[in-house]
Amino acid sequence: MTDRRRLLGMAVPFVAVLGSMIVGLLLIAASGKDVPDAIEAFMDGAFGSAFAIGASINRAVTLSLVGLGFILAFRANLTNVGGEGQIAVGGIAATALGLWPPIASLPLGLAVIVPLLGGTLAGAFWGGIAGFMKVRFGTNEVISTLLLGFVALLAVYWCVQSTALLRQPQTSSATLPESLQIADAAKLPSLTGNAESPLHIGLVICLLLAVATAIVLQRSTFGLRLRAIGLNELAARRAGMPGGIMMVVALAMAGAFGGLAGAIMLQGEQYYLKTGFSSGYGFDGLVVGLLSRGSTLGVLAGALFFGFLRSGGISMEIMAQVPAALTLVIQGLIVIAVAGSVILVEKLQGAR
Amino acid sequence: MTSSAGSLLSLNNLGKRFGSLQALEGVSLDVRAGSVQCLLGENGAGKSTLCNLIFGVYEPSEGDMVFDGAAWAPESPAVALEKGIAMVHQHFSLVPRMTVVENLMLGQVRGVLKRHEFGARIRDIAENFGFTLDPDAVVGELSVGERQRAEIVKCLMRDPKLLVLDEPTAVLPPGEIGALLDICRRVADSGRAVILVTHKLAEIAKVADRVAVLRTGRLVADESMAEADMGALVHAMVGRELRPLDVALAETDEDVEASEAPKGFALVCDGLTVHDRHGAVRLDNFTLEIRPGEIVGLAGVEGNGQSELGMVLAGLLRPTEGHFYIAGNDLTHAGAAAVTAAGGGIVPEDRHAVACVTAMSVAENMFLNKLDRFTRFGLLQRGALNAAAQKQMQEFDVRAAGPEVAFSGLSGGNQQKAVLARELTLDPLVALVAAQPTRGLDVSAVEAVYRQIRAAARRGVGVLLISSELDELLAVADRVAVLYRGRLVGERPAEMNERGAIGALMSGQVA
Amino acid sequence: MEEMLAVFIASTLRLAMPLMLAASGELVSERAGVLNLSLEGMMLTAAFFGALGSWASGNPYLGVACAILASVVVSAVQAWLSVNLRANQLVVGIGFNILALGATTLLYRIIFGGLSREEIPGLPKLAVKGLSDLPFAGTAFFQQSVIVYVGLALIVLIWAMLNHTSFGLAVRAVGDEPRSADKAGIPVAATRWKAVLITGFMAGFAGAFISIADIHTFTENMTNGAGYLALAAVIFGGWNVGRTIAACLLFGAATALQFQLPAMGIHVPTAFLLMLPYLLALLAVAGVVGRLEPPTSLTLPFQRGK
Repeated sequence: MTDRRRLLGMAVPFVAVLGSMIVGLLLIAASGKDVPDAIEAFMDGAFGSAFAIGASINRAVTLSLVGLGFILAFRANLTNVGGEGQIAVGGIAATALGLWPPIASLPLGLAVIVPLLGGTLAGAFWGGIAGFMKVRFGTNEVISTLLLGFVALLAVYWCVQSTALLRQPQTSSATLPESLQIADAAKLPSLTGNAESPLHIGLVICLLLAVATAIVLQRSTFGLRLRAIGLNELAARRAGMPGGIMMVVALAMAGAFGGLAGAIMLQGEQYYLKTGFSSGYGFDGLVVGLLSRGSTLGVLAGALFFGFLRSGGISMEIMAQVPAALTLVIQGLIVIAVAGSVILVEKLQGAR
Repeated sequence: MTSSAGSLLSLNNLGKRFGSLQALEGVSLDVRAGSVQCLLGENGAGKSTLCNLIFGVYEPSEGDMVFDGAAWAPESPAVALEKGIAMVHQHFSLVPRMTVVENLMLGQVRGVLKRHEFGARIRDIAENFGFTLDPDAVVGELSVGERQRAEIVKCLMRDPKLLVLDEPTAVLPPGEIGALLDICRRVADSGRAVILVTHKLAEIAKVADRVAVLRTGRLVADESMAEADMGALVHAMVGRELRPLDVALAETDEDVEASEAPKGFALVCDGLTVHDRHGAVRLDNFTLEIRPGEIVGLAGVEGNGQSELGMVLAGLLRPTEGHFYIAGNDLTHAGAAAVTAAGGGIVPEDRHAVACVTAMSVAENMFLNKLDRFTRFGLLQRGALNAAAQKQMQEFDVRAAGPEVAFSGLSGGNQQKAVLARELTLDPLVALVAAQPTRGLDVSAVEAVYRQIRAAARRGVGVLLISSELDELLAVADRVAVLYRGRLVGERPAEMNERGAIGALMSGQVA
Repeated sequence: MEEMLAVFIASTLRLAMPLMLAASGELVSERAGVLNLSLEGMMLTAAFFGALGSWASGNPYLGVACAILASVVVSAVQAWLSVNLRANQLVVGIGFNILALGATTLLYRIIFGGLSREEIPGLPKLAVKGLSDLPFAGTAFFQQSVIVYVGLALIVLIWAMLNHTSFGLAVRAVGDEPRSADKAGIPVAATRWKAVLITGFMAGFAGAFISIADIHTFTENMTNGAGYLALAAVIFGGWNVGRTIAACLLFGAATALQFQLPAMGIHVPTAFLLMLPYLLALLAVAGVVGRLEPPTSLTLPFQRGK
């Protein structure tokens, strides 16, 4: 019976994905574009070359990290909607550290590691604020993480607008509001050694963290305590668990994953800070976390799917003139369908 | 279908089955207009089922009813309300953030709100029945008694012929009970009928005209209050001379001497004072000392500070003033984990809210405060945890399909035994605070719980037993202290002939 | 100086208007216990279909009708999902925002093609006779498109409804204690449905204001977070109509200042002014500016007997 329930739980995202893809194809057809052309362009952009695959996987890494953080906090019944902002503060910290000359001259790969850690800590701090507000003032974390997200996005804007902060020196009126490129030493090493592929060691970091998350959630006492707090905070506190601290820790962990994702995005591919560099990855990561229903493997699978979907969508726009916004439509439909079917699934599972 | 003259509501051979459970059987009763009918019975005797039949929540399985001269078979509470039966439930259905007048207008008016006009009507009705109610007060800021009066006015606005009150005294501080009974009397005097449902006869005896007693779904007594003998009624309600506790009591206490009494006190409360959010005093300078091996009963009507005391001793609530010590350690501000570490076992009154996580397994719940024992390098050793739980389940007779089943699947009695097992197996265990530990349990579970508590005391544990069931306290405790309005108002030996004196203290009469 | 102030007031009003319209609608829904994170999506959908309707028919009033219809349709789906299917309101809201951004961009590209900026027939500004000639801020207040006057009237109506009608009472009851409301005979689901539809209606107005009355065209993601800002205003306003409107004006003023301050020679970072609304809302939910309590059952679905 449990197998059947699990199967049902997995079937829903699957059906939602399939249905939304079909709607996507219908939309392509309706817009008068050639469907096989579009599919070819999509496949080409997603899997067509070492570059395409590397870029897609890099996207998936970002989404996985945010998703993993989401399910960690969600175990304690905390919904982290602030992935976007946590990516942003992670990116700011990584840029600042990556631009700081003393860091770039550090040996032993520390020039890479210190900005990564800086981004992680910044994200943890940002998530921790929401945790603190929850424990101290009883502020709903959904509202606080969302608002903190906007503040963080505007902080990026601030950083790249002001030369006193991270904006590159203004030599002419045409100088873009962006930071300088970070030091070469701070850039993430390539994973393949192949100059064609942008794939970097972010993938390894992500997989290691995924394994760690799975162990924490399924095997560790800490994971069980998170669950207890999520289910009944008062009983957990009575049993000696520091409920408030654990909630702050849970949200800080979620934030840390987001911050790390931001640092990896910046040090892995973007190399300089600009407004909107997180471009929706935070919300997509949240979606990945939700769809996974708390499973680490689910997060990785969902992240890969959305990673390839994004890459393919961009290619479709360039090669088949199908707006990339189509992937947003598909994504939105998936989220709504999965969220809407929760009760249905519970009923089916209840009825066995 | 028969109806006696003068009766407003007649029940004829009424029965209700839920699956294989016969909740109510062969109940025949006449309720007269202008009278207060008391419906007496223990928890689970079928009182609520009977009310729900009258109020249209359930349909009877057998028998029929006559109300106001016509066959009575309301298909829903809404119909019952419309036809003249109103009910004040134990749990109020008021919106705390709205005012009294807004609450009473909800669902009653259409279009533009005329607060002033409606408020005047509320005042009139309240005055008619001899009390006051401020229509513009925000419900959340009212006392329980005032909220109850708002509920009563809500019912009376519909001008019902029959008013049913479900356990109305359970939530009231003793001082407000008299006022409630006056209102009931006036309602009856206005020609309406009142049904008072309770399991505490003494509190309402003076207002009842007739009293009916339910036991295990059957009507076992139905008489005029003037002729009734209180002792006989209580006997009819309980249905047995010998309570299970007397059996536990009869066990020999010979091995008490065996455990060597350690020096000092197990638990000391020193001037504990708790103010609530609004600044009202809930616990007032509470001081009590409990020796190792001693069982001290704390009696009192519910809502007199027991919950606050329980939360303070559990390490979940910081007292405004005062201290408490377990084995000499000051734990006032130390938190729940420190209470556990110092040997303070806690069986909280609200099991589901405080003692367990029902969605987790039995094993996880039984070791919720000792998970470190089964942790190696941060990982939980599930095999060892389940094995330990299995062993403890046998020891404490916790019946479940296995240590891995969900806690929510256990019966109330088995849940309580599991919680007790967890708290009694603390090492060291110095003091046990058990609040209402037998509430909602069946007889055999009650017996098991008290056997365990007494065994712990024999091992030298100091026990504070908080209960509103005086008979249980008398049977189990060594001495009984009484809590009234947050204050310790007296202390008596736990002997049957002190029953009256303790009862007087509980109701606020100073001896 | 005086002229500058008049310009400031005018641009504050212009920037606050969509916020006020959307926030007052959202307020009704939140008081009933439903949080529409999809407010942004509703506004964007309305802005697009408003522009489309106006462009296709050549009649801006028809455009406004299209905008409202589109937004109400979105809100109906939101209501069905959050009230009947008891779906997670936040997730559904995020889903709608992604979908709305994708769908409007896609349709815009398909219908208008490329990155054209097709001008659409906009709403004329109506001057209130006598008042618009008042010195100082006369034009700012009394020479606005008809949407503004209707919208302001609707906001007053919403206030009156929430505080002085039986429907408003029902809305507040189902948002706080749906169980008690149910016992008092209030249809919880229907009340919440109506409240969400009101949100959709007002968000439609807000979207139409942006594309038809203000900018006179549609651009991708043209609401650019105004929906979230409106949500923040409801929070900052403590779920109270008057305070929410004040919050919208404050947020509008903060945004308007970014153009005004440099002109006055005062240098405050633009980013800070843009951040201000969210910071204020954060302080508000932290209880720094007085204790604010959201409706007790906000985001909690209701099911009888559970």
